[in-house]
Amino acid sequence: MKIYELMTPKIESISPDATTKEAARKMHDLHIGALPVVRDGQLLGIITDRDICCRVVATGRDAVMTKVSEVMVKEVTVCFDDQDVDEAARLMADHHIRRLAVLKRDNSMAGFLSVDDLARSSHDLASDVLQATTARLH
Amino acid sequence: MKVQDIMTRQIASVTPRASLRQAARKMSEQGVGSLLVVEDDRLLGIITDRDIACHAVALGRDANETEVQKVMTRDVATCFDDQDVTDAAHLMKDRQIRRVAVLSHDNKLTGLLSVDDLARSSRDLAGDVLEAARPIH
Repeated sequence: MKIYELMTPKIESISPDATTKEAARKMHDLHIGALPVVRDGQLLGIITDRDICCRVVATGRDAVMTKVSEVMVKEVTVCFDDQDVDEAARLMADHHIRRLAVLKRDNSMAGFLSVDDLARSSHDLASDVLQATTARLH
Repeated sequence: MKVQDIMTRQIASVTPRASLRQAARKMSEQGVGSLLVVEDDRLLGIITDRDIACHAVALGRDANETEVQKVMTRDVATCFDDQDVTDAAHLMKDRQIRRVAVLSHDNKLTGLLSVDDLARSSRDLAGDVLEAARPIH
């Protein structure tokens, strides 16, 4: 099965110059946990609800003064939408992550693939990823 | 298999009157995404990294001033430590959640069971829970 058959297509993104408060608001309103950080159609990073908790609140920064670009994760693990889901699962397991950014072959953002999405295709693949994820996020 | 055989016994917890900043710091330092809110051995609620982002930062609340009990979820799903893991999995599935607090029969908090713990015992149970879970993308 191909990644595009399982992924969550994602159009929503946020600018690196937005404040982390604005990012949190967007995640709240859209019921999502991660936003791609995009400028001129190019993926610069990802910011998650956890980043806002651990890199803004925990360190005592002011969310209105802190820009997305200051706390986003720049090393984004990506895959292409026409790759096989097995390859995506291996990537997640190898990198100990539960979510991949999905790109089209022209490098534009196509969506996200999460371990939840994987579970809809294969319980075995999804469980492999969970077991490999060493940081035990309870 | 019983819940107590696969649950995580080290419970990351916080008191209801701690500030959100203290809770966030604890999550960051302990590498966890949620803390059980406990007072005098009593389970009062649960607070997650997402609660802090979406129910505090998003709404402009001051993380130094806001107490955990203001944004925690009070309705925590629980199971007993001697229940079968399939019961716990069904509970997670029905409530579309990924973790359940584990109590002994005298209502003391003894652990936490997550979908990750399930994955180590049954891939199918874990897969069912993930499929049912509310998507957080």
